[in-house]
Amino acid sequence: MGLLRRYYLWLVLAAIVLFATLPIPAFWVAQLNYIGLFALTCLGLVLLTGVAGLTSFGQAAFVGIGAYTTAWCALNLGWPPTLTLLLGVTLTGFSAWVIGRITLRLSGHYLPLATIAWGLSLYYLMGNLEALGKYDGLIGLNSLTLFGHEIGQGQGFFMVSWGLLWVATVALTFLLNSRPGRAIRSLKEGRQMAEAMGVDTFGYKVTIFVIAAVLASVAGWLMAYYQRAVNPSAFGLKWGIEYLFMVVVGGAGSLWGAWLGAGVVRVLDEQLQTWLPQLLGMSGSFESIIFGVMLVLMLKYRPDGLWSWVQQGIGKTERVCNWDDAKALAQRPKPAVGDVVLDVQKISKNFGGLVAVNGISFQVRAGQIVGLIGPNGAGKSTTFNLITGTLPLSSGEVYFGGQPVHGLHARDIAKRGLMRTFQHVKMIPEMSVLDNVAIGAHARSQGEVFGAILRRNRGEEKSIMAEAERQLKRVGLGDWMHEQAANLPMGQQRLMEIARALCADPTLLLLDEPAAGLRYLEKQELIHVLRQLQSEGMSILLVEHDMDLVMDVCESIVVMEFGTYLTQGRPDQVQADPKVRAAYLGTEH
Amino acid sequence: MKLKQTLVAFATFGAVSTAAWADINIGVNLSLTGGGAALGLPMQSMIKTFPQSIAGEKVNVIILDDASDPGKAAQNARRFVNQDKVDVIFGANLTPTTMAIGPIATEAKTVQISGAPGKDGEFVFILPQGFNVMAHAMMQHLKAKGVKTLGFIGYSDGYGEGWLKAMEPMLKEANIKLVGVERFARTDTSVTPQALKLVSANPDAVLVVASGSIAPMPEIALRDRGYKGLTYQTHGAASPDLMRIGGKAVEGTFLVSGPAIFADKLPDGHPSKPVSIDFAKKFKEATGSDKLSPFAGHAYDFIVVMEKAVPIALKKAKPGTESFRLALLDALNTMGRTVISHGVMNWSASDHWGYTNETGVMVVVKNGSFEVLK
Amino acid sequence: MDITIAGMLAVDGLTNGAIYALLGLATVMVFVVTRVIFIPQGEFVAFGALTLAMFIDHKVPGTVWLLLIMAFAVALQEGIGVLRSGATVKQFLKCTVKPLLIPVITAGFSIWLAPYDLPMWSMVSLSLALVTAMGPLLYRLAYQSLESATPLVLLIVSVGVHFALTGLALLFFGPEGFRNPAFWDERLQIGAVPINGQAVIIFVTALLFILALWYFFGNTLFGKALRATAVNRNGARLMGISTHTAGQLTFTLAAFIGALSGLLIGPTTTILYDSGFLIGLKGFVAAVIAGLASYPGALVVALGVGLVEAFSAFWASAFKEVIVFALILPALWLRSRHVTDDEEEH
Repeated sequence: MGLLRRYYLWLVLAAIVLFATLPIPAFWVAQLNYIGLFALTCLGLVLLTGVAGLTSFGQAAFVGIGAYTTAWCALNLGWPPTLTLLLGVTLTGFSAWVIGRITLRLSGHYLPLATIAWGLSLYYLMGNLEALGKYDGLIGLNSLTLFGHEIGQGQGFFMVSWGLLWVATVALTFLLNSRPGRAIRSLKEGRQMAEAMGVDTFGYKVTIFVIAAVLASVAGWLMAYYQRAVNPSAFGLKWGIEYLFMVVVGGAGSLWGAWLGAGVVRVLDEQLQTWLPQLLGMSGSFESIIFGVMLVLMLKYRPDGLWSWVQQGIGKTERVCNWDDAKALAQRPKPAVGDVVLDVQKISKNFGGLVAVNGISFQVRAGQIVGLIGPNGAGKSTTFNLITGTLPLSSGEVYFGGQPVHGLHARDIAKRGLMRTFQHVKMIPEMSVLDNVAIGAHARSQGEVFGAILRRNRGEEKSIMAEAERQLKRVGLGDWMHEQAANLPMGQQRLMEIARALCADPTLLLLDEPAAGLRYLEKQELIHVLRQLQSEGMSILLVEHDMDLVMDVCESIVVMEFGTYLTQGRPDQVQADPKVRAAYLGTEH
Repeated sequence: MKLKQTLVAFATFGAVSTAAWADINIGVNLSLTGGGAALGLPMQSMIKTFPQSIAGEKVNVIILDDASDPGKAAQNARRFVNQDKVDVIFGANLTPTTMAIGPIATEAKTVQISGAPGKDGEFVFILPQGFNVMAHAMMQHLKAKGVKTLGFIGYSDGYGEGWLKAMEPMLKEANIKLVGVERFARTDTSVTPQALKLVSANPDAVLVVASGSIAPMPEIALRDRGYKGLTYQTHGAASPDLMRIGGKAVEGTFLVSGPAIFADKLPDGHPSKPVSIDFAKKFKEATGSDKLSPFAGHAYDFIVVMEKAVPIALKKAKPGTESFRLALLDALNTMGRTVISHGVMNWSASDHWGYTNETGVMVVVKNGSFEVLK
Repeated sequence: MDITIAGMLAVDGLTNGAIYALLGLATVMVFVVTRVIFIPQGEFVAFGALTLAMFIDHKVPGTVWLLLIMAFAVALQEGIGVLRSGATVKQFLKCTVKPLLIPVITAGFSIWLAPYDLPMWSMVSLSLALVTAMGPLLYRLAYQSLESATPLVLLIVSVGVHFALTGLALLFFGPEGFRNPAFWDERLQIGAVPINGQAVIIFVTALLFILALWYFFGNTLFGKALRATAVNRNGARLMGISTHTAGQLTFTLAAFIGALSGLLIGPTTTILYDSGFLIGLKGFVAAVIAGLASYPGALVVALGVGLVEAFSAFWASAFKEVIVFALILPALWLRSRHVTDDEEEH
């Protein structure tokens, strides 16, 4: 079974070859051909929606661009299929790039709405252009011929279409198990965490958007040669919805969900068409009703789709630890003890009329643990966000290692070695602890999408994994490496965040309430880790409410109140200061 | 996973397979949902009256819905030729869907008899009148009325396009100027802007190219904006919906149509009168409605044509074989003059449209019903 | 293009825009309270118009059967839920009978009165009642158990509901189109531009509703309570606000507005079973451009959409839809420049 699991991709290929050669009734070949086309489009959608959390109803429109380009060039210019494929993919990729750059900055639910809008406009455009045959479309294409061989519309076509589907799935599998893959997975959890790890979220969003569009374009190319006619009704909103439906049914979280969803929906569609009229004595809209009801039921009771059942049966493949021989990643030069690592000068932030942070200044030196405390609403987390670049400054300057970092993007600051953890743990729950931590190394590595697909970065990947394992051991989580991150108790999750930050080889760690919600023993463990890090030369800036921990661990404490700097000093000084007492407890009278 | 799927498929296929080799299998592809449903559903009712057997051979009619989607129509056609092994295909009822079936039927050497105007071919026969035939009748009327300028407002799709392409050369020849061409989609809720544009051009007559319950809308919009000239509608609008929805606004509209829906209103000498009356009777039996649908008429005509052609083909070959399908093709090409509800059909190997220019009947809307013009 | 034509186009555009505004408002309202992006809003439009059409034809509208089916489905759902948690007979009866009351009564009246020659106002009221009653039932069937899901999941559920309702509409109403008689046949003149009575009614109604909703949500305690449920469900519940009631009430209002729009727009156009979707979508586009948050904003944008549509249809009738939907792109782009990262939607 283990062998089966390891080589499952090859097994699938073998199955495809088998099906292409076995005698199968023509009807089922036709079904499989359609399933292959749909699955290809759905694959892109799984990447977009399931993995990165960007819901798109517009895949159908991209299929249309691919199909129309193919048809028009083949009919009017007599181009061979290889050339039409090339042009189709280029045109679609370019349109996706433009549309992506315009709409992908939108958050949450705005994106799907935008996809509905441009999907509709593309549909109406295609249906109204004289050159594209308006609503009647283009007809009269010959069937597919590649390199002199007539592929036809039977099992030969099945071989080609499912072969392409397999190649795409393999490519995406490689992509998702790599550095850019982890970056893509992090998109689902929101921008903050990813950017803080150095990930260019917008860049990756556009990239996968284009990838999904390209896959859809290839499906369109295949569709044009299969149906030998291109008509706008296949690219309208109804189909955009149908592809999403297939992905939801199959399971948006996995690439195989695309295969499963396309297959189940297609077969169900066909069977409903045949059986319902006979069953109920009348025909028509039942399909639509049943599909609609099914979609709602699926989301209510099985939002992870059908693939999750299959996955439960198969079980997960355990990652093979093969990085003992990995080269170490490049290290950053560390500052000497006593050097000023972080210099915050009079930073301020206003939200409209509310002044959240008012001219705070302090410094952190190399090898120091500095605490930032204050009553609730003092503006501590905001200060953090200002320093790390998550929030833009209203005024003031921040110097890190002597260099100005005010005004930079969070990811650029992260690249320089300023890493942080979050008040509410931000991680990717479905990934393993090791993979989560490996995201931290994003800023230190280079491997990009193409390299990942072609598997050219295996060396760097091993180095990243080795580093991640090292950091996990450093914080004491070595045994939890392969565990799913969501299964960790709160205390370990916080340590995992620290390990992740450490993976970036930082010179300064910003920890946002690392002890919040921890039990006593967990806090002791945390203190131990912090002291250990300090002894190794790490500088740490800590926001914390737990006074015992702060007084114990920090050698210098900055106190804030109402966004303003109150005082700074050693723990015993701060404890004795009457201003601090007044801020926390009220004035004595 | 896929192996299991295929095994289940085999089992189902085996269980479902009912067609015995001597049965005549007819594949019917109609729009039962979507924009074309208004045309497809009455046709389905009519098709269901297909006789159980012809010349002693049992007939199986398989009806599938294409949801007004050409892609689906193509899929259904593939299914018909690959799985059901039909001897003939009837369909579709919209131009784009019917054109999608053509290449597949032709490749499988199966006759397609289309219920909508489209592209004819070696194996494709068209039951509805061609645009040219209907346009011809309309042109005669336009000339007789002394119309010098014409406005056009029609569907953006194949139906609208077909009429436009048919009318343009005829108008040029008759020296009638086309002063405005406006388009709209079947799903539009308002055509006021288009109507405004036409009204400001103020042509002598306006031709509305639409169908079913959508057809009255442009006319209402024109009248609302003060248009005082003549209005013409096409055979797609030749249904009671025109008056039901159009009300007062469509009084006096001229229409061209096939003879099918006029039954006993036709003049006595008209060859289609008895057939049309029979159609009206069967339609009432099948649907309980008096409001004749011209599209159902095409379905009725399909039955008539089959009842004539199939016995001829049966003499040469057995159903379910390629030779039977070729024999059927031959029969249709050579059976000559056939009187159907929609006129006199005269298919030949060189002409798969088959109607002569005399087929179009001009009617006018008077007091909420159609009156045949002499 | 002279002033008269421009004027007529403007009236046409604004009339359609007013309907889009009503639907846009309903969309905003539903989103603000329940976080559901209610794509099927347009279906209520078609239901409203077609129900009235069938009453006018002395037939029992298909809506009645749909309403009854939904009511029984809800009763079943409630019943099973109550049985599972172990309840008394009295509780069981209460839970299953309560949702059935209004639908059954309304349905009963409709079936009884349909064959008679009713005055317009009673047919209108019955139509409104039938469709409005579907609102809360729809919420309970499809959305209530998913209250804590993300807006994205709720959006996909809406899509499923849309599919189902469209199919049901075809089933119950058939593929034919209908056109209802106008409520007010008068023709008025503003300068050289003619306006018909129906348009006036549409304007007035739209305006009234917008003001009413604005006031309700902005100034009354109940309205604010409804908004609270969207911001923080648990917090609202702790304050004694029932999220279930909030959702059901909102959907009732949405169904009412949808049905009303259908009745208003019925006389100006032919409505088919699937006409509602595109109308709803345009109102929805207006709401989105306005940020799904602002009522006056949605109104202004909706009127704008109507105007753009009218003028594009005049100049380039074939490309009208392309223009209208492509416009959402620059609008969304402008909106995206104001988006901050503070609120992460997971």
